[in-house]
Amino acid sequence: MALDDIPIKAEHAAGGLTGNAQALLGEIAALLQRLLATGQGGAIDLASLPFSPADREWLAQRLGRGEVEIRLMAGGLSTFNETACPGVWWVSHHNEAGVRVSELIEVARIPELALAHPDDVKMGLERLNNLLNDLN
Amino acid sequence: MNRNGNLLENLAWQGISRRSFLKYCATLASLMALPPTAGRAMAEALARAPRPSVIWLPFQECTGCTESITRSHSPSIEGLIFDAISLDYQETLMAAAGHQAEEVLHKTVAENEGRFVLIIDGSVATGLDGAYSCIAGRSNLDLLREVGPKAAAIVAVGSCAAYGGIPKAHPNPTGAVAVSDIIKDKPIVNIPGCPPIPVVMTGVLAHYLTFGSLPELDRLGRPRAFYGETIHDRCYRRPFYDQGKFAKTFDDEGARQGWCLFELGCKGPVTYNACAHVKWNDGSSFPIQSGHGCIGCSEPDFWDAGGFYKALSMPADPLKLVAGAAVAGAAVGVAVSIANRARKGAAKAAHETATLADLEK
Repeated sequence: MALDDIPIKAEHAAGGLTGNAQALLGEIAALLQRLLATGQGGAIDLASLPFSPADREWLAQRLGRGEVEIRLMAGGLSTFNETACPGVWWVSHHNEAGVRVSELIEVARIPELALAHPDDVKMGLERLNNLLNDLN
Repeated sequence: MNRNGNLLENLAWQGISRRSFLKYCATLASLMALPPTAGRAMAEALARAPRPSVIWLPFQECTGCTESITRSHSPSIEGLIFDAISLDYQETLMAAAGHQAEEVLHKTVAENEGRFVLIIDGSVATGLDGAYSCIAGRSNLDLLREVGPKAAAIVAVGSCAAYGGIPKAHPNPTGAVAVSDIIKDKPIVNIPGCPPIPVVMTGVLAHYLTFGSLPELDRLGRPRAFYGETIHDRCYRRPFYDQGKFAKTFDDEGARQGWCLFELGCKGPVTYNACAHVKWNDGSSFPIQSGHGCIGCSEPDFWDAGGFYKALSMPADPLKLVAGAAVAGAAVGVAVSIANRARKGAAKAAHETATLADLEK
């Protein structure tokens, strides 16, 4: 039996818009305003909302793509893509098997995970000093 | 692994960076409905936490809960939590066997009295003095009565340990009961589900390690962070319920459009669990997303709660279903009548009453 003979027709995801993505745009705008006023941004967990695949597509299209893309290789790939609205990042965390484990909108000037921790910077300095010592 | 070093140092030894750890904590925090900033705080606390001893006892169970947890996510990241605890006894995972294993159990209990966390999966058989389920010649009931009171806290993993589950299903031949029916004076966290979502278990352990206490529980002893809302509340198909758009059969236009499965028997509205947002198989899907209603496996007595395909708006009391059964039989025709008759015959022999609910399971 050929695949086409099976009487199931696939529906395009656009049919499943719930209207929730639109509401989210307002929430992102409020977070951006807070970021400007206080320097404190925020994050919205996309996985924990009643959100259909079509909603996700709609939101991604409306937010668009910005200039910066950050790739983090730590326990699997994480991507931080700036949207067309600077300060709004589309964050996807994947595990080592390449499966997406969480997805969020982060509102910040730079995503928190991309910043180097002072302790790690200290370790980096130690490493450099060791290198220099070895060379001398 | 060096048991004395802090967690982050130990992880660094294994090639796991601070960012990997922070990423894991951020994901965990979001799953636990904590504010986004909690990830960093959790990471800091977890890195400093002392390493508590954990004993895992399997009772009347199918090992599905262990399967669920050990196959969760990528081993190294989910394993972070297992690096933060000292899992001293777990029959399925430990290398030791027989007398050696039993020795480890009793030594761990003696050395950590009042401080270890006891994880239990499976119900407790009480029939024939617990003889239906034994380990090393001792009944589960006996072992629980000895070890339970010495634990700091008990985590009942799976619907069986939490409520009695499938072993307790009618007519409950082994006299199965929940852990909380035997142990009354210890804090017990119930993590129901058949099986439970893996990250819920690691989340409870992470909470214990981070805050030094058990998470806030609801009236059935479940952590509110994961069981605070129904599947229905968090379901991506919820907006269709609100709009009155329902699939009427599993292959109609509504089903294809991804409409609400309420009329096909979805138990989402009365089931408290995190499936709708945490999801299964590394977050890829959950039953409703795959086109089947929720069967309510994390609720007490789900197996006896009426048919899986009966809408919640239909009466669940089997006694009231007799009239409905007759109508359904007439409509579907001879095949069902014969099945009913066969079932009736079997029921008569077993001195049980057959109901529509029995047939639909």
